[in-house]
Amino acid sequence: MKLELKNLSYTYSGDTTFARQAVDDLSATIREGSITGIIGHTGSGKSTLVQMMNGLLTPSSGEVLLDGVNIFSDKKTLRDARFKVGLVFQYPEYQLFEETVAKDIGYGPKNQKLSPEEIATRTLEAADFVGLDRELLGKSPFDLSGGQKRRVAIAGVMAMRPPILILDEPASGLDPVGREEIFGGLLRYRDQTGATIIIVSHSMEDMARYAEDIMVMSDSRLLLSGSRDEIFKNADLLCSIGLDVPEVTHLVNELRRRGYELPDNLYTVAGAEAALRALKAKLQREGAGKC
Amino acid sequence: MLKDITLGQFFPGNSFLHKLDPRMKLILTLLYIVTIFFANNLITVAILTLAAFLLVPLGRIPMKTVLKSLKPLRWIILFTTVLNLFWVKDGKQLVDFYFIDIYSGGIVYAASMALRVTALLAGTTLLLSYTTSPIALTDGIEQMLSPLKKIKVPVHEFAMMMTIALRFIPTLIEETDKIMSAQKARGADFETGSLLSRAKALIPIFIPLFVSAIRRADDLATAMECRCYHGGAGRTRMNRLHYSLRDLFALLLILLFMAGIIALRWAPLPAFLGI
Repeated sequence: MKLELKNLSYTYSGDTTFARQAVDDLSATIREGSITGIIGHTGSGKSTLVQMMNGLLTPSSGEVLLDGVNIFSDKKTLRDARFKVGLVFQYPEYQLFEETVAKDIGYGPKNQKLSPEEIATRTLEAADFVGLDRELLGKSPFDLSGGQKRRVAIAGVMAMRPPILILDEPASGLDPVGREEIFGGLLRYRDQTGATIIIVSHSMEDMARYAEDIMVMSDSRLLLSGSRDEIFKNADLLCSIGLDVPEVTHLVNELRRRGYELPDNLYTVAGAEAALRALKAKLQREGAGKC
Repeated sequence: MLKDITLGQFFPGNSFLHKLDPRMKLILTLLYIVTIFFANNLITVAILTLAAFLLVPLGRIPMKTVLKSLKPLRWIILFTTVLNLFWVKDGKQLVDFYFIDIYSGGIVYAASMALRVTALLAGTTLLLSYTTSPIALTDGIEQMLSPLKKIKVPVHEFAMMMTIALRFIPTLIEETDKIMSAQKARGADFETGSLLSRAKALIPIFIPLFVSAIRRADDLATAMECRCYHGGAGRTRMNRLHYSLRDLFALLLILLFMAGIIALRWAPLPAFLGI
């Protein structure tokens, strides 16, 4: 499903003296089936933007097009958009409320008015996506650990099988293992359903590892957008708006500055490690030749 | 949508009324109310109403806001006015039309009742709600009631509870907003359906809200204990309330005003103005 944003603007408390522009004339097209990252400083309008994508907030002007149809055209389209564009808020574990994990995951499908059998299938499927033990399905969500709760909440949105899944800081406050589990689940969901995934995050490391396309927001506007390689080449620009590139990219850039021949598109520790090993082998070979 | 709810009616500011000690404002309000009940004729209630509106520039509150706060009272005022107008049978009869009898006493009585209610509301809201922050008010009440500690009333604890409750109202409103959005994103529908189904739709909001309120209470209790909070005994304050010349001035002013109003009770006024 194709998601397009056309000249979107949003102003909080419109006509009053407290008016504040949160999103300013933003246009973008999200590539189908991609994992797109949205990065930006706190208060740059990321959260407002994603809430407009599924119609929770109505833009002051502009359109959100799902396969060419403006989701705000009428009430029914708007309600359908909530199911087509799944939105997982920050700290989603605080929205759990049912007696059992299974019931909580099934809340979305139930609102979609699916049959009980279908709800059961979707619940199991969603639990599998996020790697949740099936034994946990009968437990109370309040008895789980923080990371497990987070995965239950994400599964609750996945169970609606949205062709577009948006997550606001899905891994914040989790340890490395917890982060891995969350992102692993998102990759599984994308690979098995072909969905588009949009991730809002502060973590450049996570972006470098998982995002294919990146949108950079600054001061309510879209500053940059493009593939990961294109974006991370602008290290200086990113730093100037209070963002950063991954730590390992700083290291590689410093080495390049000192005359080591390394490629300029290294953003992950694994990639940098491979490149450094290759460089070391090459230098050793050259050294051996000289002797 | 929940963000539109404003808590209380406090207008932050730096005016004469804002700077008065909250305890003094409580005393002034009490004295003002007593004065209203001493006023026994049309002239004195008119003076009282006028005095209330003189507070508007003193507190630098927009006149429009004050008038708006009187709006909910318009039915009560209308009702008492009509009642007094037709049922008081003092003085000279002015109208005699089938069952409608209007006497001069009725008109005076109706007018002064309407003015009295207006003065009461305008005066107290201006002195207290508009110009005193809820926290300052709780502080003031705590200190004024502190003599009750002698008979083992937990005044400090009550005040602390009130302060905490006030502090968390905006937080909980924000939280409700967030949870509502999250459940809406999962297809929750709060706007359509029968009354019962709408009530049921609120469960996914209230349970997480209660859970988080309890969690916050727990965290707050721990944080307070970590800072050795153990109730009111031996506790000192960072912002101590103290009376200033300003407060004395305000007190003298209202006492003079009160004396004046009481004196006017016996003033040789035209008889028809008496209530």
